[in-house]
Amino acid sequence: MAETVLRAENVAKRYGPVVALRDVSLSVAAGEVHALLGANGAGKSTLVKILTGVIKPDQGTITMDQATVSFATPEQARGAGLVSVFQDPALAPDLTVSQNMRLTGTPVDAFREHMNSFGLGDIALNDQIRDIPLTAQRMIDLARALCFDPKVLLLDEITAALPADLSTKVFEVMAARRESGRSVLFITHRLGEVLEHADRATILRDGTDVEVTSTADTSERQLVTAMVGDLGEEMAATRRVNTENRTVVLRGTNLAAGRGLNDVSLSLHKGEILGVAALDGQGQEELFEVLAGVRRLRAGEVEVNGRRVNLRSPFDAVRRGVAFVPSDRQEALLPLQSVAHNLTAPRHNSVGKWGWINGRKEQMLVEETVEELQIDTRAGSAVSQLSGGNQQKVTIGRWIASGFDVLLTFDPTRGIDARTKQQIYTLLRRLSEEGRSVLFFTSELRELQLMADRVLVIYGGRVVGELTPDEATEQRVLELMHGLSSVGQEN
Amino acid sequence: MKTVITSMRRNSWVVAVFIIFIVLLLLKISLLPNFGSFQAQTIILTTLAAALLAIAQSIIVITGGIDLSVGAMMVLVNCVSAYLMLDKPFGPVVLIAFLVIGMSVALSALTGWVITTSGVPDIVITLATSFVWTGLAIFILGGPGGGTAPEFQSLLLGPGGFDFWPPLLWLLLPLAFIWLPLRRSRLGLSMYAVGSNRTAAFLAGVSVKKTRIASYAIAGVFTGLAGLVITANTGSGSPRLADGGIATLDSVAAVVLGGVALTGGVGGLLGPILAAFILFLIPSIMLSLGINPSYGESIKGVLVILVVTIGGWLRLRRVKS
Repeated sequence: MAETVLRAENVAKRYGPVVALRDVSLSVAAGEVHALLGANGAGKSTLVKILTGVIKPDQGTITMDQATVSFATPEQARGAGLVSVFQDPALAPDLTVSQNMRLTGTPVDAFREHMNSFGLGDIALNDQIRDIPLTAQRMIDLARALCFDPKVLLLDEITAALPADLSTKVFEVMAARRESGRSVLFITHRLGEVLEHADRATILRDGTDVEVTSTADTSERQLVTAMVGDLGEEMAATRRVNTENRTVVLRGTNLAAGRGLNDVSLSLHKGEILGVAALDGQGQEELFEVLAGVRRLRAGEVEVNGRRVNLRSPFDAVRRGVAFVPSDRQEALLPLQSVAHNLTAPRHNSVGKWGWINGRKEQMLVEETVEELQIDTRAGSAVSQLSGGNQQKVTIGRWIASGFDVLLTFDPTRGIDARTKQQIYTLLRRLSEEGRSVLFFTSELRELQLMADRVLVIYGGRVVGELTPDEATEQRVLELMHGLSSVGQEN
Repeated sequence: MKTVITSMRRNSWVVAVFIIFIVLLLLKISLLPNFGSFQAQTIILTTLAAALLAIAQSIIVITGGIDLSVGAMMVLVNCVSAYLMLDKPFGPVVLIAFLVIGMSVALSALTGWVITTSGVPDIVITLATSFVWTGLAIFILGGPGGGTAPEFQSLLLGPGGFDFWPPLLWLLLPLAFIWLPLRRSRLGLSMYAVGSNRTAAFLAGVSVKKTRIASYAIAGVFTGLAGLVITANTGSGSPRLADGGIATLDSVAAVVLGGVALTGGVGGLLGPILAAFILFLIPSIMLSLGINPSYGESIKGVLVILVVTIGGWLRLRRVKS
């Protein structure tokens, strides 16, 4: 066993009555890719914040290279050789790329080199961060981190929103770090990535490290078991809807919008779950936004329940029974408001007589929804205090509370732990059984086979393939996503 | 060539403000019976304090804060300096000038420290400090009074008393010696970064607290200069509550009109300076046209709304296309 570079011992942290970390120990060896796993609320984020000097632990010690350290800021951690790429890129949006590099004293030449190796050489140094897609921002953040040649590179869910090609680059980086005797601490919800690219994994549950395992002798199933204690309810046996004789609830014809969406036609049937897969920026965002009334069409038409509609705003869409859950939870939620207010907000469009809100009825509805979705509200009454998974449940739950025919959901399980994912799968499945239709985009291709009754693959703003769940293997979908072949050509 | 176009595009707001400024200036000049050094001096001199305050406000707003006490601080500096400078010879008066600027910097930095340490929003703390500074000003100088050395006034008005370049110099020199080097420095970048996204800046290793305090301290230099300008121009001090309040609101208007985003991280100083002149020129032109200048205030307000709306609309279109 190589010597330990980074060690955390008996770290604990509490926020008022909420215990975030009970007692966690973690050690990362030199030349190791170490995965940190845990369900939402298990304490990963808190541990990361402590390691990187964002917050101070209540107790416990951190050592780097056998010396006890206590970082007061991320800058100090960086100075000691622990460099992080956080979930939200630590880049000032109004500054240019090069200004951001100067801000942190990053050598520009080395930075360029890394960007070139990521295949992102076309990003100009005087581009404003604001104008750069989030995925590329993450890679910029990663490239900057590499310039410091850190002893420990901490990657906090970096692959959560990356397209497959950029994820591959990240894995290459991880391999290269290991090669050069440096270490990587890697946080992800994607267990497949852990098994494939990490050497060891530490699993957190309820603020304690429950297991440290070598990835060579474990399986996804075992990891999930460790994360959730007992295996959560299994995904209901996949039930397929025969859509041929069903009515079409939502139909889009030759939709075009913005730069990305060029010509997409689709029909969503009653009770159907239609999956959408695409590489980053192929028009899928525009598609969802158009159907949700967030964005105007450039061409084409939308029909809801057989009637042509002109969706000028989300209000129009909601009125016709089309609900939208965007990928960014923060965009949809009222962070400082209560769970109850967040759940009932859309209902207030159609309040009762005289504009009064029936408080008791609403209270009941909230309680039902909270119970139904198993939203864990212990952490606090304001939504901002809930964990990511519970926040996501609120964004979906508000539509259940207010009623809808069509649910548009964009990457609903992004950055969510395995257990909550299962709950969301089951939830969407149940909604479809009740006759509601779901259109969902996912960046995690595995979900397509698990969830969808039918899969559309979009490339260059056009549908390049329609697959049955059986056909929608990761391999096949990936090929289509890259525009490698279309179904038509194959037959 | 391409960089020129990109930079024009990025600064399209300032370009637009500049065009409005030139049009209004030419209009004003055409309405004057004659235009010479004295008339130019009047325009610059009347706007100088407002322009310096706009600079101070911009620096704080760019860093993500807002200071509702800049006007009150200007009044305080005016009163303290007029009180201390009364009947003093030129030498001590200059020393006092430096001292009161030091006072302005120290009190502004203190404000920044209280804000960052307490976690109370800038707008609340500075609203409160604006009352504190005004109270202090009244305590020191019960009513209009005080004085200064004639040589000190000449520093602003020129040896002949009617030169336009000394007040212009008092606007440009601090910019050249404080803002230009600052903008290129790490601290300047940090200010933009903190205003742009405080969390991202912190995670990137920027000391958010120090940067925010520094923004208040640097703004204090310009607020102090504004106060001294009033002392030199009027030769006295006046602790009127309303003056400070109006000056503060004008500084915020100049910031907004000048293309500095109230959310922080965006903009420069040229826009707000030009905007300060525009905000003076409008009522002044109305007066020359024989229209009741009170209407000018309303026109000012409408202009701020128009420019910001149209500008925002154009920006949005650019982003969408």
